[in-house]
Amino acid sequence: MSSRMLHRDRRRGGPILSVEDLRTAFFTDKETIRAVDGASFEVHKGETVGIVGESGSGKSVTARSIMGLIESPGEVLDGRIRFRDRGTLERFADSFSGKTVDVAGIDDDEHAATAGNDDFVFVEEWSGNDPSGGYVDVTRASPSALRKLRGNGIAMIFQDPLSSLNPVYTVGNQIKEALRLHQGLRGRAATEEAVNLLEAVSIPDAKRRITEYPHQFSGGMRQRAVIAMALACEPEVLICDEPTTALDVTIQAQILELLNGIQEERGLAIVFITHDMGVMAEVADRLNVMYAGEIVETAPIEELFANPKHPYTQGLLESIPGRHPDDDRLRTIEGDVPTPNEPATDCRFAPRCPEAFEECEAVHPVSVPVNEGTNDHTAACLLYPEDESREAAVETHRRRGSNSEVSIDE
Amino acid sequence: MSRWSYFLRRLVLAIPIVIFGTTITFMLIRLGPIDPAAAIIGLGDPEGLERIRTQLGLNQPLWQQYFDFMIDLFTFNLGQSWVIEPGTSAYALIVSYAPRTIWLGFWSVLIALFVGIPLGFYAGLNPNTGSDYFASFGGIVWRAMPNFWLAIILVTLLVQSQDLLFGFNWAGWLVPTGIVGPPPIDFLAEPLGAITDPVDWWIRKGGDGSFLAALKKIAPAALVLGSASMGNEMRLGRTAVLETINSEYVETARAKGVSSRSIVWKHVFRNALIPLVPIITGEAFLLIGGSVLVETVFGINGLGVLFYDAALNADLPLLGSLMFIFILLIVGLNIVQDLLYTLIDPRVGYEQD
Repeated sequence: MSSRMLHRDRRRGGPILSVEDLRTAFFTDKETIRAVDGASFEVHKGETVGIVGESGSGKSVTARSIMGLIESPGEVLDGRIRFRDRGTLERFADSFSGKTVDVAGIDDDEHAATAGNDDFVFVEEWSGNDPSGGYVDVTRASPSALRKLRGNGIAMIFQDPLSSLNPVYTVGNQIKEALRLHQGLRGRAATEEAVNLLEAVSIPDAKRRITEYPHQFSGGMRQRAVIAMALACEPEVLICDEPTTALDVTIQAQILELLNGIQEERGLAIVFITHDMGVMAEVADRLNVMYAGEIVETAPIEELFANPKHPYTQGLLESIPGRHPDDDRLRTIEGDVPTPNEPATDCRFAPRCPEAFEECEAVHPVSVPVNEGTNDHTAACLLYPEDESREAAVETHRRRGSNSEVSIDE
Repeated sequence: MSRWSYFLRRLVLAIPIVIFGTTITFMLIRLGPIDPAAAIIGLGDPEGLERIRTQLGLNQPLWQQYFDFMIDLFTFNLGQSWVIEPGTSAYALIVSYAPRTIWLGFWSVLIALFVGIPLGFYAGLNPNTGSDYFASFGGIVWRAMPNFWLAIILVTLLVQSQDLLFGFNWAGWLVPTGIVGPPPIDFLAEPLGAITDPVDWWIRKGGDGSFLAALKKIAPAALVLGSASMGNEMRLGRTAVLETINSEYVETARAKGVSSRSIVWKHVFRNALIPLVPIITGEAFLLIGGSVLVETVFGINGLGVLFYDAALNADLPLLGSLMFIFILLIVGLNIVQDLLYTLIDPRVGYEQD
């Protein structure tokens, strides 16, 4: 696909969003659920990054952590979520100057140590007195800063369009609310812009439609309206949490096409979450496979479909209906996703893994390149790097795992 | 079908309901064991009984009595009291008793609305905190205490307030009032006094007949009568808020950067009110209709007491008139409920083709 090559070319410069070693846990009376346990990935401008995994693997919690939407009893415990957008940086350095820290020339790992407790705007480069490079660390941001970031920097659309619009306000009202918050538009200007946005997401008769209520829209129309609402915020990154799961297949295709078009037009970075490999193949440039709170494999989409390395990814691909037309039964991965309530000391997939061996029970695998030559294909599995002997590979994982050991105080 | 034609249809449907209700009322009071003639002169004088029956028209065929009854009521020709105050028109009796009940009901509804619902919403917005547990527990306790029991306890407490409440004297506090007895609401007859003679109207008038005195006097009864509704609305308000705040559209609103204040007031509040509407209107009737028990304990001579007396004494015209007014009240409140629904929830009356 040519558009995909185009995206690849845009991957110059740093990522617009990078998630590093994110850990989000939910504290209940019974146990601590480590819904996201050390996830790392990057999103570049104009690129679609997929996160795929079974229900309960931590996909949605990852998305909500990025949005700063985790609420008690949940908590982002550790990790960095860095959002690098120059406009946002300038805005935030301006309005949160007391919480801005100058880290020009300071080594990346030292940033956190340099910053005060409340600081969350990191400036790495200056042009004159204005910051020209740097990032906002979402995990450290205050609630008021998060609110300014939400929508405008990073917007999100949710799974169920039937319930993500407020039933008692008109669609226009809800789009205009976003326009007022993020573009300062009111009155007639806001109405006009709302009509434009509805037209941009291919809703016919937009002038009349903005005065209608969500229940007067069909499912696909509602998801379009939700997308229009997200676009009203003028985001740089759009997180789509299973945006097509609740829609029927023909509508699904239309929405995916719409998202593709919008991305081309506005240079959006998209984080796309789904459990549907088929949808993923349509939209994603890179794919992260998530299992029990961890990202177990990362690769460009073609590479991942052609050469899945992690046994879990292989299992996922095997279980796509239609892959084995001669089989009587659909293939599945036996067992369920375990609830990650203890720090991992083993491979969490081992009990379901067809290739598990003894060390899988004792060593926690970390993400490593699958073989020496590759940089953009990693897997968290003791079988890799595949050009090392098994003992050497296990030793690599053991060593790197103990370095990055993070303990959680409860 | 649009929201307003839905509302109009509800309005038209109210007519047969009033007719049906009134018919049932007629059947209950005329076909039941009540004998008004016996209530008037006793059973000892068979001839007198017959004479009275003829006078009252009780010997006419039932269907004719039925039509007279219906036509009289629907033309608001409420007739005269037979037993309680013979010769006085039912209309005059109701007009003289109703204000006290309305005064009581008004404040009970206000207490339920302005204490119960805010408390419930507060608890729902701060779930599983100390203050939530405190409010929820309070709601259950208020809900669970029976009217008559709470009324008696409160009267006992207030009568002995000087001994029990560290020298605080309820009867003499602010303005001297009795603890039980009808509230002095004559001041309402001259509403202009609120502006022309504010001190007297609102506060003074010798502690008898000012707004403050009437409010103070009704407060314990209103608290008792409103307590159950208050508890109900508190519990339901909490649930409604919890349900709304965890809904996906609230999360969507948060994801687009809406402030938490705007989330609560714009997105949560209106949606949480929807399930509360029928509760509020349903209970409003209960309160305005008065409560025989509370009115009796607090000595408030209101509609509840009048209705009870009329039923016991077989005062058929009065009983029928009161029933008719209660029916109108219920149907009216249901229409108010439909109106509120129509205003709050745009999905009302929506049918997918």
